[in-house]
Amino acid sequence: MLLIECPWCGPRAETEFSHGGEAGITRPANPDALSDAEWADYLFYRSNPRGAHRELWNHARGCRRWFVVERDTVTNRIAGSFRLDEALPVPASAAGKQAEQGD
Amino acid sequence: MAAGQANRLPEGGRIDRSRPLRFSFNGKSYAGYAGDTLASALLANGVSLVGRSFKLRRPRGIVGGGAEEPNAVMQLGEGAAARPNLLATQVELEPGLAARGTRGWPSTRFDIGAALDGFGRILGAGFYYKTFKYPRAWWKLYEHVIRRAAGFGKAPDSPDPDRYEHRNAHCDVLVAGGGPAGLMAALMAARAGARVILADDDVEFGGSLLVGGDAIDGIPAMDWVARVVAELRQMPDCRLLSRGTVFGYHDHNFLTIAQRCVRESDIAAQDQARRPVAERLWRVRAKRVVLAQGAFERPLVFCNNDRPGVMLATAVSGYIRRHAVLPGRRAVVFTNNDSAYRTAIDLAGAGAEVAAIVDSRPGGAGAIEQRVKELGIPVLPGHVVSDVSGRRRVRGAGIARWTGEPWSTVEITLRIDCDLVAVSGGFSPAVHLHSQAGGKLEWSESQLCFLPAEARQSHDSAGAGNGRQSTGDCLADGLRAGTAATVELGLSRPEIEIPATEEVPAAPIEALWRVPAVKDADRCPKQFIDFQNDATVADIRLAVREGYRNVEHVKRYTALGFGTDQGKLGNINGMAILADALGKPIPEVGTTTFRPAYTPVRFGTVAGESVGELYDPVRKTALHEWHEAAGAPMEAVGQWHRPWYFPRGGEDLHAAVARECLAVRNSVGIMDASTLGKIDVRGPDAVNFLERVYTHNVGRMKPGRCAYGILLGEDGMVMDDGVMARLAEDRFYLTTTTGGAAHVLDWLEKWLQTEWPELEVYLTSLTEQFSTLAVAGPNSRKLLEKLGCDIPLDRESFPFMHVRTATLAGIPVSLFRVGFSGELAFEINIGSQFALDLWRKLMDAGREFDITPYGTETMHVLRAEKGFVIVGHDTDGSVTPVDLGMNWLLSREKDFLGKRSLARPDCLREDRKQLVGLLSRDGCTVIPEGAQLIERTGQATPVPMCGHVTSSYPSASLGHPIALALVTGGRGRKGETLFAASPGREPTAVEIVSPAFYDPGGERQHV
Amino acid sequence: MSEKIARPRGLEAFIGAAESMPEAGAEIAVPANRGFLNLRLDSRQQQAVKAAEDVLVQDLPLAANTFTSGKRRVYWLGPDEWLLETGAEEAGALCGELEAALAGHHAAINDISGGQAALRLTGPEARAILSRGCTLDLHPREFAPGQCARTGLARATVLLACIDEAPTYTLIVGRSFADYLCRWLAH
Repeated sequence: MLLIECPWCGPRAETEFSHGGEAGITRPANPDALSDAEWADYLFYRSNPRGAHRELWNHARGCRRWFVVERDTVTNRIAGSFRLDEALPVPASAAGKQAEQGD
Repeated sequence: MAAGQANRLPEGGRIDRSRPLRFSFNGKSYAGYAGDTLASALLANGVSLVGRSFKLRRPRGIVGGGAEEPNAVMQLGEGAAARPNLLATQVELEPGLAARGTRGWPSTRFDIGAALDGFGRILGAGFYYKTFKYPRAWWKLYEHVIRRAAGFGKAPDSPDPDRYEHRNAHCDVLVAGGGPAGLMAALMAARAGARVILADDDVEFGGSLLVGGDAIDGIPAMDWVARVVAELRQMPDCRLLSRGTVFGYHDHNFLTIAQRCVRESDIAAQDQARRPVAERLWRVRAKRVVLAQGAFERPLVFCNNDRPGVMLATAVSGYIRRHAVLPGRRAVVFTNNDSAYRTAIDLAGAGAEVAAIVDSRPGGAGAIEQRVKELGIPVLPGHVVSDVSGRRRVRGAGIARWTGEPWSTVEITLRIDCDLVAVSGGFSPAVHLHSQAGGKLEWSESQLCFLPAEARQSHDSAGAGNGRQSTGDCLADGLRAGTAATVELGLSRPEIEIPATEEVPAAPIEALWRVPAVKDADRCPKQFIDFQNDATVADIRLAVREGYRNVEHVKRYTALGFGTDQGKLGNINGMAILADALGKPIPEVGTTTFRPAYTPVRFGTVAGESVGELYDPVRKTALHEWHEAAGAPMEAVGQWHRPWYFPRGGEDLHAAVARECLAVRNSVGIMDASTLGKIDVRGPDAVNFLERVYTHNVGRMKPGRCAYGILLGEDGMVMDDGVMARLAEDRFYLTTTTGGAAHVLDWLEKWLQTEWPELEVYLTSLTEQFSTLAVAGPNSRKLLEKLGCDIPLDRESFPFMHVRTATLAGIPVSLFRVGFSGELAFEINIGSQFALDLWRKLMDAGREFDITPYGTETMHVLRAEKGFVIVGHDTDGSVTPVDLGMNWLLSREKDFLGKRSLARPDCLREDRKQLVGLLSRDGCTVIPEGAQLIERTGQATPVPMCGHVTSSYPSASLGHPIALALVTGGRGRKGETLFAASPGREPTAVEIVSPAFYDPGGERQHV
Repeated sequence: MSEKIARPRGLEAFIGAAESMPEAGAEIAVPANRGFLNLRLDSRQQQAVKAAEDVLVQDLPLAANTFTSGKRRVYWLGPDEWLLETGAEEAGALCGELEAALAGHHAAINDISGGQAALRLTGPEARAILSRGCTLDLHPREFAPGQCARTGLARATVLLACIDEAPTYTLIVGRSFADYLCRWLAH
């Protein structure tokens, strides 16, 4: 069970949170102007990286805030939690990280 | 009382001789003492045969002294209280304890499968896979027999009567293992002021000191343990968990501990209604972890090394020193390291004859060799035990010279009669938790074992689990780990000295992975690596010959390390022999993956208190007690329990629902709709926000106006629906489906917070605050008027789809002129604290109209008669509003979530499934919900399907059954005939019709 | 340290009144006539905060997971959300006063007195009882009087507040979960 740092409430158990998928997916300003392929790219395609991943979490059983967590998808190590109204630091590079055998 | 305990020593041990007790094994009664384990008591009684092996049905005896025991797998209790899969070495002996061996069908002593042993050569690796593969239809037959012969015991046959508890805990330092290293680490951390949890799976703390251990700081080792434990117990922030096995090391330093809490006899004596907690699951979040779980001794791999009487050397020492049990009278000790020499000394001290120490190392042992020689014990350096004789009990050992060539053949040069062979092939640190945590392992060529290397989480290993061998080294390593933890935590470190111990210089271990035999490796008698799963040297070599290269594949093909073993006993021997067969160094072959649980954990422990009525919260409305008193059966809708129907007299569901439906259609009915989700939306940007999420034109709604709204996922599929009302310019009140309430609020917040933070809107859940009383039927207005309402309720003043605040019987309420039945109806929203009072008043005032409370079933029928869908019942996440015929709800003037997706080619297909009504052609058959629709009967399988039935009910109002369905291109197919097919029934001919069965013009709700 | 914990006293309805509980190390009480308001406003809007505080004659707690005690209790629920606990008879009037004081500000105030249930758990074993189903660290240094948190308790969501060092906790839960929570506490 992960220990997730809520930017407001501090570290809390994963059971208090719900996951909201990849962060930084911005809804297109004018969906009608997009081709079907462009819309599908927004709707369905995600980066699903091996390594550093920024994702949305909601402190659903707490302060109900959505925020961004940078989590390593291999080790589950969390590099940081960020409020949506603060500038995000440069992501920790996935490159050069020891790829570990997932199972 | 102690009669019959032929192998019990007259004195010594940590058993309580003042508390003799009786127990039974396989139906026979035996004597033992408090402080015994089931295993030690069986050995005391000379029971050497405890089970049959998994595949070959060979007789097996107790091998080990703890979690590594492969053979003595027991079943305790019967019926509901049956507990399978327990190791006799870990079961505390209790008065009246009744154990059965789980291996051996029909009995341990007479085993049909034992005949299989004769066919051992054909029962190699993958035998079952290869042999029982064809013909396929026969597998069910094979499986029945194989499973019966193979199992680890029987599951309970009815609900577990035991109580379990979960406890969440936090600490600065969790120490797993209470031996010398763990105690030192815990002592250091606790004295530094850390919050400490020390867990040990044994009844007593002490670990290896319980078994061996000379003086520490000049006092007996266990006195030193008692002193440390006493100090730790005094500390308020130190928690000691004995009988607690740390079985899982999960992400972010979250560890799980299964703690046995009460003895079997305590449970039996207790009141059945409230039994004491049988087992507790500790869920621990630790800042720092010290893993001090010790090491497992390895067996040696020689011919017939599975014969009862071949035991691990440390286990033999343990039985002698801890339980005062002498497992044999004439012993051969076989080793490749110094440790087993101590066992020889223990055996001699307990009065056994040690016929020889057979040491594969040509140079023999270190300083300890002199001690055993002084005791007159012969040592045979440079020799091995190549084979043992005896079937149900070892009778002799065949000794050969060790040439250093494991795959050569040898000659037996000496035969020694014995009834016990104590073996030691070196020690493998218990790296399970370290590995579960993601830590790496490193092969030590000098110690011939994998040692914990780089950690991935905040943990450290110490003691024997970190490759330390002597007690002194373990104490020092524990102190080091405890100090490292305090430094890591930023605590000041107290001065603690390493306790003094006597050190005996040891000679190094030498590799001996496979002992050569008189024949080559594939033809000699079986050399077992994994006793529990009957994996042998020949099996591993066969797997390699058949092309297996990866250790994980070899594991699955040979079953090496399966079951309760999980790589504790045979893993390293197996890896080494695999490496040899592959011609690779051991570290290149690596180990298999260690996963939780480290030892078997009861399902009850995992479930904890979440069973029975606490399995999931039962949410109750403010009117729940009234419904129960009225005798309504409840229907679970998500976590809510809602009244299903309100039977009168002996009515069944069908009769009650027919009556309730007619009451609503003809007079007035009342329903508790409080479970609907309710959300207050407020702020200057409320309209702007809701325009983006709802499909209709929200801005056109004037205050006081209600609208039916749907929410689409961004994929264009219907996600939720409900009535929403504009209460003021900047204030809306949304309702959601019962099941969607929490999700919709989170989803709305997500859009608001992540996409549109500039919008000034607040969302507040009012689901719990307001109860919703739905009053429906032609007499509903009269009822409210009779009750006393401070606003006019006539059609002109308060038209359909409007909302008003009012007082009803003097209580402030919100009145919504909306409904789900197609009748004149009002939904009364009222503070939940007043709801029951108002409900009662409505029931009283409604008597003259024969007001009829109705449940969810009637609600379903009424809405289906109108063709109203229920999201999640008639839709399944693949249905667009166009499929439902709701184009009228889709604004052309604005964007909304999901709109763009409705223009995707897939959503524009003509042949999408569309909502239609169905009538059975015979006018009386109720089609089963979920039935598939087909074009015609008599087609060859697979029959193409063109839709399915989503709702189906008898309709008392219409006098015939009705159904809703999703049909391919359905809207253009009215009047056509399809067939509804479901298993076990003749297909029913149905006609496609409009889903609006009742009052299609909607006149009744506008009156 | 004994790990055994007894059921709290005060839940006889869920246990069966005939059963005695001599070993109970905690008691539960259900405070009567509690009123609750939910307040939303942006804590960075100092004027709005001031307006609310003037009505309450009490500070809005701005530090996360704390509450202030005065005539009422005001619990922090989120950076723009508070729960006000007051007398039931006062809730409606207070709601109106706050509405009036906050007119012109972006704020939302809802009387949710009907939707909440409050429980008071007190006694030396209270902490252990909660730890059966709460993942918060309840150690007195970590969750001290004056602190509160919305969190999970068993399978319900509760607002948990530490009132004093007895320790005494207030648990505020959605009313539909109250029956479940009492059964769980009595288990």
